[in-house]
Amino acid sequence: MKKLTLFKTMFVREWIELKRYPFNLLSGLIALYLIFLVVFAGYKALGSGSPRFGNTLDGIVVGFMMWTFAISAYSTLSWELMNEARMGTLEQLYMTPLGFGWVCIFRVIASFFLNLLFVLPILALMMVTTGRYLHLDLLSITPLLALSLAGVYGIGFVMGGLALVFKQIQAFFQIIQFVFIFLIAAPLSKLPLLFKVLPLSLGSNLIHAVMVEKESLLLLPPGDLSILLINSAFYFLAGFWIFKLFLGIARKRGLLGHY
Amino acid sequence: MRSVVEVAGLTKVYRQKGKPAVKALDGIGFSIARGEVVGLLGPNGAGKTTTIKSLCGLITPTAGRILIDGVDTVKNPKFGMGKLSAVLEGNRNVYWRLTPRENLSFFAGMMGIPQRRSAAYIEELLRIFRLKEKERSQARYLSRGMQQKLALACSLVKGTEILLLDEPTLGLDVESSHEMRELIKGLVAETGKTVFLSSHDMKVVEDLCQRVIIINNGKVVTDDTVRGLQQLFMVSSYRFNLEGGLPSEARSRIEREFELSKIVEDGAKSQIDVELSSAERFYDLVDILKRYGCAVGSIDHKEPDFEEIFLKIVRGEDEEVNPL
Repeated sequence: MKKLTLFKTMFVREWIELKRYPFNLLSGLIALYLIFLVVFAGYKALGSGSPRFGNTLDGIVVGFMMWTFAISAYSTLSWELMNEARMGTLEQLYMTPLGFGWVCIFRVIASFFLNLLFVLPILALMMVTTGRYLHLDLLSITPLLALSLAGVYGIGFVMGGLALVFKQIQAFFQIIQFVFIFLIAAPLSKLPLLFKVLPLSLGSNLIHAVMVEKESLLLLPPGDLSILLINSAFYFLAGFWIFKLFLGIARKRGLLGHY
Repeated sequence: MRSVVEVAGLTKVYRQKGKPAVKALDGIGFSIARGEVVGLLGPNGAGKTTTIKSLCGLITPTAGRILIDGVDTVKNPKFGMGKLSAVLEGNRNVYWRLTPRENLSFFAGMMGIPQRRSAAYIEELLRIFRLKEKERSQARYLSRGMQQKLALACSLVKGTEILLLDEPTLGLDVESSHEMRELIKGLVAETGKTVFLSSHDMKVVEDLCQRVIIINNGKVVTDDTVRGLQQLFMVSSYRFNLEGGLPSEARSRIEREFELSKIVEDGAKSQIDVELSSAERFYDLVDILKRYGCAVGSIDHKEPDFEEIFLKIVRGEDEEVNPL
């Protein structure tokens, strides 16, 4: 019950800050849409002759959506922790008897839901721009999305741990951004084993199957779904475990809150 | 009285590659009884903040034990976090983009207290701390004094029985500092909370605390009641008011024999301020005055300045450590 209150508390704070600064949301949306327009223009120039033009374009829309989610999933927590450290509120955030780990987990869950507010308009804009209307079976997409991103949130926890101990890790972010493009666009059929072990690839593929090939969650190969479940659980738990290790180091070195 | 906080052998050593290890705390030990208000004093770098952060579970000590309500919180920090809340030095402690009310509700939520249970208390805190008129402004637009009051209110809304305040009046103007002290006093009187506070400002400690722990170089130098400390130095500070002048021979003798003396002569009256190292010295001085036939109008105890006491204790400790 107390944890539920904690979750609600974290969610409400995110919501208030979002509401108070609508311009942040808006400028983020515009920037993201502009990036998409560049990608779209480039693709049109290069690939308009191809017979699979429309189909690949669908893939780009889905991939772009996944990329947006993934970036937020791996960076939100560390940004937040660096921010709290700079503002001088990290110690207070840490000092909850319900556990700082839960604070962070609830914080990222809240960000996942609030991200929907951010990504759905982008998705709509992308569909209108490209004229490709994707199959929006939310009942299938949402669980798949949550599952595939859980692994990325695991990586986000590692980044969060790094942020607690090393403070300045922005340069790292940029590299990882590109790694994610690769993982999302991974040719799963060519190297199935490798990409089923790495995070995000399998999930992106399954979401692609739902949104582009109009599959339903229940009709997807159960083997793939099980692997996705294990894969995400592994990355999430491993990431969280590493985060706790870093947290211990930060407490030992007296780094919590020093910026 | 049962101790609610017990610290023993608390040691913290920071090691960094290529640098000598720094011993921030060197076997600190003390205890605090339920409902007691204890001050923590010490010069910069003495280990005050490290002590407080260790109590909060924000720093893992290298060695030593911290018991809160009998539970070892080095091993079980979450237990401690349920028992104490803290306002930390130099921190904002509150969210600048949230209003006072939102902040209070957030910190209650951090303890797992749902809004319906915290609402009435939040209302009361806003009223007592006179934050009601600003309840809709974001914390960053409040004055420094109001922000600090809000930080204190946010630690109260958590409903813990122990309150740690690291420099609660630092950076506040005289008026805000006074208001802050009154608030702390009031809540101690009304709620019986256990308060452990550090301060540079001796007046704050003198005003609020029953007992004071002085630390220097990571060690406890003194652990005594504020009254006890004052009495220790009370006997030694006197002001002699003389009727008439002081013969120059008497003057030079007093100045020679009593190093810590200050003599002011003003024609018909003279004044001698002395700090006596022992009670017998009092009679020595009276003897001199008698020999030169000085008429003593009155003798006053000088109320010792807490800051002076503190400086003397810390200085004495330094001399012991470094005989040079």
